[in-house]
Amino acid sequence: MTTTMTASTPLLEARGLTRKFGGVVALDRLDLAIERNEILGLIGPNGSGKTTFFNVATGIYRADAGHITFDGVETTGATSRAIYRAGVSRTFQRSRLSLPLSIFDNVMIGNHKRLNQGLWFNLVRRRAFKREFETNYHAARTLIEVFEPQLAGRMFEPVAGLPMIDRRRIEICRALISQPKLLLLDEPSAGMTHEETTALMDDILQIRTLNKNLAIVIVEHEMGVIERITDRCAVLNFGRKIAEGPYRQVAADRQVQEAYLGVA
Amino acid sequence: MDAGLFAQYVMNGLMLGMMYALVAVGFTLFFGVLDIIKFSHGDVLTVGAFTALATYVGLRSAGIGASPVILLIMLVVAIFAMAALGMLIARLLVLPLRSAPALNTLLITLMFGTVLRESVRLFYPQGANPKPFPALLPSVSVNFGNFNLRLDSALMLAAGLIVIVGLQLLLNRTKLGLAIRAVAQDEETARTMGVNFTAIVLITFAIGSGLAAFAGIMNGLYYNEINFGIGLYLGVIGFAAAIIGGLGSIYGAILGGFLFAALQTIGTVALPFASAYKDVFAFAVVIIFMAWRPTGLIQEKISERV
Amino acid sequence: MIAGEQHAKGALLPGVVAVALTTAYLIALLAVEKQPLIIGLLALAIAAVLAANWLGWLAPVSRSFADREEPLAGLAIAAAFAVAVFFHDDHFVLLLVCTVLLYTVATLGLNIQFGYAGVLNFAGASFFGIGAYTSAVFNAHTAVPHLLVLLIGGLIAALIGSLLLLPVLRTRGHYAALVTIAFALLLKTFLEVNDVLGGPQGLQVKGMKIFGWSFNDNIEIGKISLSFYWSYFVVSMLLLIGAFILVRRLERSWIGLNLDALRLDETAANCFGLDVARWKITAFTLGNFLIGMAGALFGMIGGFVAPNNYTFADSLLLVSILLLGGIGNPWGLVVATVIVVVVPEKLQTIQEYRFLLYALLVIMVLLFRPEGLLPRPVRRYFPGWRP
Repeated sequence: MTTTMTASTPLLEARGLTRKFGGVVALDRLDLAIERNEILGLIGPNGSGKTTFFNVATGIYRADAGHITFDGVETTGATSRAIYRAGVSRTFQRSRLSLPLSIFDNVMIGNHKRLNQGLWFNLVRRRAFKREFETNYHAARTLIEVFEPQLAGRMFEPVAGLPMIDRRRIEICRALISQPKLLLLDEPSAGMTHEETTALMDDILQIRTLNKNLAIVIVEHEMGVIERITDRCAVLNFGRKIAEGPYRQVAADRQVQEAYLGVA
Repeated sequence: MDAGLFAQYVMNGLMLGMMYALVAVGFTLFFGVLDIIKFSHGDVLTVGAFTALATYVGLRSAGIGASPVILLIMLVVAIFAMAALGMLIARLLVLPLRSAPALNTLLITLMFGTVLRESVRLFYPQGANPKPFPALLPSVSVNFGNFNLRLDSALMLAAGLIVIVGLQLLLNRTKLGLAIRAVAQDEETARTMGVNFTAIVLITFAIGSGLAAFAGIMNGLYYNEINFGIGLYLGVIGFAAAIIGGLGSIYGAILGGFLFAALQTIGTVALPFASAYKDVFAFAVVIIFMAWRPTGLIQEKISERV
Repeated sequence: MIAGEQHAKGALLPGVVAVALTTAYLIALLAVEKQPLIIGLLALAIAAVLAANWLGWLAPVSRSFADREEPLAGLAIAAAFAVAVFFHDDHFVLLLVCTVLLYTVATLGLNIQFGYAGVLNFAGASFFGIGAYTSAVFNAHTAVPHLLVLLIGGLIAALIGSLLLLPVLRTRGHYAALVTIAFALLLKTFLEVNDVLGGPQGLQVKGMKIFGWSFNDNIEIGKISLSFYWSYFVVSMLLLIGAFILVRRLERSWIGLNLDALRLDETAANCFGLDVARWKITAFTLGNFLIGMAGALFGMIGGFVAPNNYTFADSLLLVSILLLGGIGNPWGLVVATVIVVVVPEKLQTIQEYRFLLYALLVIMVLLFRPEGLLPRPVRRYFPGWRP
């Protein structure tokens, strides 16, 4: 796989991306580029296409028209699995953890591509498997510790009994464990208090300092968060990008204000 | 093949198709409103047929003989009894499991179907053996060459058609039908619009189960015989038909029912030496079809939001 | 031990006591003949379990099994042998024991399919029957060694199963349900109609013979005579032990995790690189392999195979065992199989009603205790392991 990469090639580029659901045009010839190692805020009123964009970018929905390239490779119409293997990871708007499973299990689900999936290895070579298990236990534990040290000692507790904020943290760890190049966060702070949100954003920034080779796209409704942690923003409305740039600039944009508040 | 024989096959196919369609519609109704597969549907059909038979026996021993009257009473008793049974199933088994995985509802209705089936086999007098079902429609028949047109078949076909048309009218032209369709489309919105969700579910189950009773009686009249396993068999076919047509679509269910009957007929014609294989043939085609077009001919309801 | 990690290892004693008590109870239940005594014993068991639950004695037993599984499993094997030795010349009891062992293997296979991967299989008894028919045909017409015939039975069941599932792999759960129910119903009709495979009467199955030792002869060791079922008991135990280890290791691996992930949330599993279709078919095939092998051995033990023994109702009975015991918990399966197989045999009056009764029981379980008798605990990759 050859990549036509230069330092200025965007990590992910969507051009003319269109997706319809029946009569509703969720993405309308969207052009959006995500640069390497940046934190991009994706904002817009409800129904503007943010989650749909994530779903198309991760292969859950096929685009009706347009192209996406990731890391120089065309991924339009690629499967979710291929996109994950290429280095894209995500969280979901509606928290999708496997509730009966333990914290460790849930995080390991995100690590699929780095685990040995062979039948012989898993069933027969138990000593080797144990070594891989222990290595990954420590990796998962270390990651969880960044977000919530209290959970680190409870890695084999079922997720079902944990509060929402812990579940979101675990979901983010699940997305991070495979060391992706691009992390898509879909409303990570939904349902959290202001303090919890601040703590979560601190943790995300910490992840960034530890891992320079990571771009993050974050969908958020709390503008304080966007202002604080993003390098720049893209604003969607009715499936199109209507503004782009640092938060301050975008917040002052007339079109953006109208999109959120309606025409005065 | 001569025209008379052909017409005979067509007539048989239509009758089967009608019965399958009636059962398939039930499956699709339940799936539509609740996103669940109610596997006891076929066995409700069996109980309906046996209820009608028991009514018949009771009426005859009470001295009532007039054919149309008996049939009418049988229909009324069976349909209302099964409607009640359907509501009980909804109230006691299905609704309580709403928050559990959909699998549990499938399993619980499957098990309840077994309860119904085994109950008939064990508790109805000689239930394990096939029971003769009275011929209550005029057994006159007309011959057109090789084609023997039974009057009772024609009547049943007409009655089935009326029931299906009636159902369509109910769903598309009445307020109740509107409520049912609303719940099938989007439960949350329907509730906020003031629709009484539980009542609609119960009514839908009542309708579906009533249809099953009707189909059961039709089956009994056509073959002059019923047995405790008939519902399981028809249920599997009805379910397959609903899937071919696209779960959630009434038209699809009807279409699927007739399609399955057509497949069986083709199987019978193509393999005259082994007509027992007609079902294998029909199901094999269904399975291949499912691989090719899993959502059915008319789009299955997509209910998952990512 | 890192501070804050879970509580201390479960003690061995509660598990040992549980196994010992259960074994003693089983021997009593199997030995007793009079119906009122049996009913009394059953009532005693129910009361004892409820009391133990109320007294909080069941949790330590659970922990014991979770942390000390290996020694307890060894003990359980010894207990099974103890039962077999106690009834060493009782044909009826030993046959019953073999039936329990092989049904457990079959349900373990079903557990891989349904409990782990979430793939519905309502034709379990049909695949069991396919294994049995394989023995019948191979033993009668070929000179293939009988142990190999077991493997072949498993392979044929696995192959037919995967052919059946392939078309509906990418569809929702109820499609697999429909396909397997249709298969269960149609296979029975197919067998009844085909005289090549014996028709409704079925076929005779030649008894097992390994290296010249014919299993169908009674065994004499000095003054002690063993029922010929003893040889079958040993082979069945070996099969069960193998199946149990397989299922345990499967669950306690990345593969087990994959299966759980795809059962619980296919979309998310896809987003994290899981090949859902591949793992579903793997689980289904592996499960049917176990079911087929158990069926092949069962055919040889029983001596004959007929379509009427492998009906849809029998498949539902296997599913009932799974639901009663606790989906995903192999120990629960063992307990549930004993209950479902032994009780109707001892309590002859309910034999006729067993499909009805167990269906009702499952309905109760689904309404009030869906996790079953022994709920499946959280995955512990290495029991007793602490970081």
